[in-house]
Amino acid sequence: MKLVKEIVWLLHKDGLLEWRSGYALGGILLYVLSTVYILYASFEKIEPSLWNALFWIVILFASVNAITKSFVQESGARQLYYYSLLSPISLILAKIIYNVGLLLVLSLLSWGAFTLFAENAVTDNGLFFLAIFLATLGFSITFTFISAISAKANNNSTLMAILCFPLIIPIIMTLINLSKMALDLKIKANIENDLYTLLGIDALLLGMTLVLYPFLWRD
Amino acid sequence: MIHKNWWKYLGVVILLYVLTVGMLVPLKPGISDIDPSSVRTGETVTFKVWGYNSKFAQAQQPTRAWLKLDDERALSAERVVVKSDTMLEVEFRIPPYLPVSQKVQDFSLILDNDVDGPSVLPSAVFITQDSVDAARGEQVWVNNPVQDLSNVSGMTFPFRNILGETIRNTYFHVALWLAMFTIFIAGVFQSVQYLRLRTPSRDHWAVSYTTIGVLLGILGVVTGAIWAKNTWGAFWSWDVKQNTTAIALLIYLAFFVLRASFEDPEQKARVSAVYNIFAFAALVPLIYVIPRLTDSLHPGAGGNITFGSQDLDNTMRMVFYPAVIGWTLIGVWMATLLYRVKRIQEKLWDVY
Amino acid sequence: MKKYIFALTTLQLLFTISAAAQGTGGSDFLRSIGKIYVVVAVIVAVFLGIVVFLIYLDRRLTKLEDQIKDQNE
Repeated sequence: MKLVKEIVWLLHKDGLLEWRSGYALGGILLYVLSTVYILYASFEKIEPSLWNALFWIVILFASVNAITKSFVQESGARQLYYYSLLSPISLILAKIIYNVGLLLVLSLLSWGAFTLFAENAVTDNGLFFLAIFLATLGFSITFTFISAISAKANNNSTLMAILCFPLIIPIIMTLINLSKMALDLKIKANIENDLYTLLGIDALLLGMTLVLYPFLWRD
Repeated sequence: MIHKNWWKYLGVVILLYVLTVGMLVPLKPGISDIDPSSVRTGETVTFKVWGYNSKFAQAQQPTRAWLKLDDERALSAERVVVKSDTMLEVEFRIPPYLPVSQKVQDFSLILDNDVDGPSVLPSAVFITQDSVDAARGEQVWVNNPVQDLSNVSGMTFPFRNILGETIRNTYFHVALWLAMFTIFIAGVFQSVQYLRLRTPSRDHWAVSYTTIGVLLGILGVVTGAIWAKNTWGAFWSWDVKQNTTAIALLIYLAFFVLRASFEDPEQKARVSAVYNIFAFAALVPLIYVIPRLTDSLHPGAGGNITFGSQDLDNTMRMVFYPAVIGWTLIGVWMATLLYRVKRIQEKLWDVY
Repeated sequence: MKKYIFALTTLQLLFTISAAAQGTGGSDFLRSIGKIYVVVAVIVAVFLGIVVFLIYLDRRLTKLEDQIKDQNE
């Protein structure tokens, strides 16, 4: 119960900060819109296979950019305050939940922008949404944890990229397979198999995060 | 000296055993080539067949030959002429119609004699039908099913047509890869121990194991590339297992980049231990789950992990399992050397 | 730096040998006698890997020896 209360409090705090500054969401939105506009301007007609690749590239880089900041914002004094009040589990869970929300909004907005500027290449919207949801889950767990690590090492964004990209390749490979099926680029077969794999990876990474973060947070 | 370091000598002895047995045991006789490999229906064709390691001329009873369509149906040879130990001429009368509804049908060639034992060349001959008529094919088919195969015993490694002698690479490439995984697991275990006990020596162990794991991984990729070039035709074929190993190496190189970016040794050890464990957890699905989902040139794709039962027979097991143990022991030995260097270094710095 | 150059050179040498052996078409050395020389190339590669490790270890130990010498002076 205390955990839930703490998480809600932290989410509220993060949401409030975001609402006041509009820093992450505004920047990311600009990024997504301008990327999609450039894509539209240079391709005019986007083939489904290209659509698939471009969509996930946009999501991937937007997510990395959005999440890299999640531990940088916290100043030293504020962190000290958290340490004395909160448990590490609620801190990292709140960050992950917040980032899942952020990435979900972000990917749905990009999907909307793609539909607006190009067209909706997705034929199975339900499956694609499911893929997006599981991807956001995996991305936010991995990126949040890695950003906690790279925040310790001060030189953030480069290290973040080096540490992140090899780790999320299993998620991306399964994801591309799923979204190919959602775009009718591939015959639908063994969808549950892919979904379970993705869910399994997400659960594994979440478990590892919860176990390992307490060793990481305090210096 | 001996009683303390017995496992190092054991590793060396095992690898010596692997090298001698792995290189000296001959391959089972097999069929390396057939000419022509593509014929038409209604002809009587004399095929030239080349054997590998075979002793056609020494057979007591005449060598028999079949073109096999499936488990029940096969054509038997009209005439088999032995030219030398490794060359035969086989004459088949191909019927005017085949009992199948495809235009082109592949047949396996099966040879059998009392010295070499049975040997198979899968999809050896492609027969193109002038006109397809499965019903008439059934009528004119003179069936001579493959039977009474001779039973030859002896210690041999299986013959696979594309692989040839390179099947011996199993003991060097595949075993090395498994040893790499064992060493990485040892490194992760030491990282876990570091987080529990917080003694610097655990961190030294973790780094030593991981370094050796990366070395073995690079060797695995290089040996794999040499093998792949000469069997699949390209150094890098974007095969799933090649990609996963490359990504695993990237993850561990990132581990060293991460370590390089810390000054404080305690923080360096702690954060890199955390990353090591997390990265390993992310690696497990990569190596074991993804290859099952996608096609791979490697054996055992879409099923078991490394080998199908027919790829690793009992004779190979006798060498393969010791090879894994031997390479692992050598890897651990190398890691202990690194660890000792680190420990001496630490002692030296303490003096200052 | 030296050890990277060494490793790179040996690797390149290995690839060049194997590429040259099959590029010439006629002889096809690596693939003769049931491709046994592919096995030899693989064993040589593993041996070179161990040699690279030895050189690395040698350099580390030399550094340590230098430090000990410095302390004694």
